[in-house]
Amino acid sequence: MNRKARILIGKVGLDGHDVGARVVARALADAGMEVIYTGLRQTPQQIVSAALEEAVDAIGISILSGAHLSLLGEVARILDQHRAADIPVVAGGIIPVEDIPALKKIGVREIFLPETPTAKIVEFFKSLISQA
Amino acid sequence: MSLDKKFKNWEKNVLDSWLKANPEKKERFKTDAGIDIERLYTPLDLESIGFDYGRDLGWPAEYPFTRGITPTMYRSNPFLVSVYSGFGRPAQCNQRYKKILDWGGVDEIAIAADLPSQMGYDSDNPMAKGEVGRVGVAIDSLRDLEIIFEDIPLNKLKRLSLLGNSLGPIALSLLIALGRKQGLQTSEFVVNLQNDVLKEYVARGTYIFPIRPAVRLTTDVVGYCARHIPHWYPVNICANHIHAAGAGSPKATAFALANGMCYINDLLNKGYQIDEIAPLLTMFLDERSDFFVAICNFRATRRLWARLMKQRLKARDPRSMALKIYAYSHGGETLLEPMNNTVRITLAALAYVLGGVQFLQNASYDEVLGTPSENAAKIAARTQQILAHELGVANTVDPLGGSYFIETLTAQIEKEIEKEFAAVEERGGAIAAIEDGYYTASISEGASRRQREFESGERVSIGVNKYRSESKIPSGAFRIDPGIEAEQVEQLRKTRQQRNSKTVRDTLEYVREVAQGEGNLVEPVLEAVSAYATVGEICDVLRQEFGEYQRREYFKSS
Repeated sequence: MNRKARILIGKVGLDGHDVGARVVARALADAGMEVIYTGLRQTPQQIVSAALEEAVDAIGISILSGAHLSLLGEVARILDQHRAADIPVVAGGIIPVEDIPALKKIGVREIFLPETPTAKIVEFFKSLISQA
Repeated sequence: MSLDKKFKNWEKNVLDSWLKANPEKKERFKTDAGIDIERLYTPLDLESIGFDYGRDLGWPAEYPFTRGITPTMYRSNPFLVSVYSGFGRPAQCNQRYKKILDWGGVDEIAIAADLPSQMGYDSDNPMAKGEVGRVGVAIDSLRDLEIIFEDIPLNKLKRLSLLGNSLGPIALSLLIALGRKQGLQTSEFVVNLQNDVLKEYVARGTYIFPIRPAVRLTTDVVGYCARHIPHWYPVNICANHIHAAGAGSPKATAFALANGMCYINDLLNKGYQIDEIAPLLTMFLDERSDFFVAICNFRATRRLWARLMKQRLKARDPRSMALKIYAYSHGGETLLEPMNNTVRITLAALAYVLGGVQFLQNASYDEVLGTPSENAAKIAARTQQILAHELGVANTVDPLGGSYFIETLTAQIEKEIEKEFAAVEERGGAIAAIEDGYYTASISEGASRRQREFESGERVSIGVNKYRSESKIPSGAFRIDPGIEAEQVEQLRKTRQQRNSKTVRDTLEYVREVAQGEGNLVEPVLEAVSAYATVGEICDVLRQEFGEYQRREYFKSS
């Protein structure tokens, strides 16, 4: 890789617990990626704008409040609107397993539930980027 | 022979050969925050910390309050049994609360509000989409609270709680106004607000405004209560979320104390006396990964608080020095085999009771999966009642006081908290430590360390990284009906239609006027709330006057 991979970690919706988002951001940075963390309560529009502004290679979205279906759907829609649907989106947080198929159908590449080893998340981002 | 000599003989004659055949499982036994735990504690440890009964413990209800804040503790006044609950539409929430009160023995309801309500967005705000009624009940205006508490007189409860972290004056006003609607004076019921905004910027996240006006909102509530409703609890200074986010309990307690000092200084600057405000303050303390630390943390913090109040702030009223403690029992809950969480929560609650808690709330075992189910919430409340009434746990004051281990650990934790508290003070206090990233760095470092320890197996989670027997992660989260949002928006429309819009406009202008000056915001907000101005409308005025807090962060490899 000529330039370091850039990852946007975003928090959509109103939920404010970002321990997980920060642990993942730290781990990705320690694995040699540049990580931009949006801070809390970004709208899907703000996430996509930040992703484009920061020219990221992938987006990770942390969500705990239960509004994953509507918010991740919005992110996918707005990315598509900006012809940026090629930026892969990954989600993590408290998401009932039965919602996973619906999220994958929207185009979310992977959904990481609590207790996922950090290394597994790092590996997945690495594989996403090498595919790009 | 001296005890020291006898101890060395025991090590040489008994211990050494035993260890050869029975090596210890770990090289170091330590607390979450890194304090070493010794194999054995003896009078020698008390000697080494210079233990002095009169100075370090004293008598219950007397300085420095290590043993407890009342002479008889639970023998006269059992800890208060509190249930955190709320979801969906106000009418559904009302049904749930009635059921909870039918269980018997529930003293306090802590209203769980949904995120839009906590963030000052009405249910029809685009930011609220998908969130209405999800993690708590929707509260757009006084009307919603009237429905939530229909046929539940507030004076039937020992206490009523609402978070109100970023919008303290609105939370306080809503509950004063709700009481009036029920024909109750503020003297006839008791309210508790979390109203601790500083920790929101580093741990819990429901901040709205820039830090300084936010602190003003918090202290306006404390000041108002000090002068008008001194038996209410206007702020609960939280170590809990800072600890959970990763700081570890001594740092979290120290940061919370520093946050508390920030509020106190602001109030002293506004002209309040320390003995007018300190008796109203409570702390929300926490330790989730070490049973004995949980106990000692309470004892150490009571002692430190008493000294801080007496020595530094020159408080004279013993009520200012006696710290009342609120706790939420958690214990590393897991998604796998979630029923095991009941055991973890029970043990956390037991530690808090042994530590002398005043206000106790238990997590539900399924909280990790979503909003608690009714059955899980009931088990949580029953656990507290079992601790209060069975097993003799609550029969004597400070049952572990005098233990070589407990007294040594209490002293060590106290020192650790003092050291961390001094570090924050050196930076210029709580606001400086938020702005220069010190709190966040401490929290992130701890969170990453915990994660590493968990992944390496050093931090054990039974059924997850040790003795794992299930591969599939269970679900079954409490589902919220998607129709709730539409119904709540309709209710909001009706409320707006039925109110006197001129009064609403006038009172909102009054809020703006006071926000522009330095006066206490509770009075104008109470007028607005009583006129059925919505939470979002009042917050919008404050957003226009104060602005909003925003930040983007960059992580580079360390």
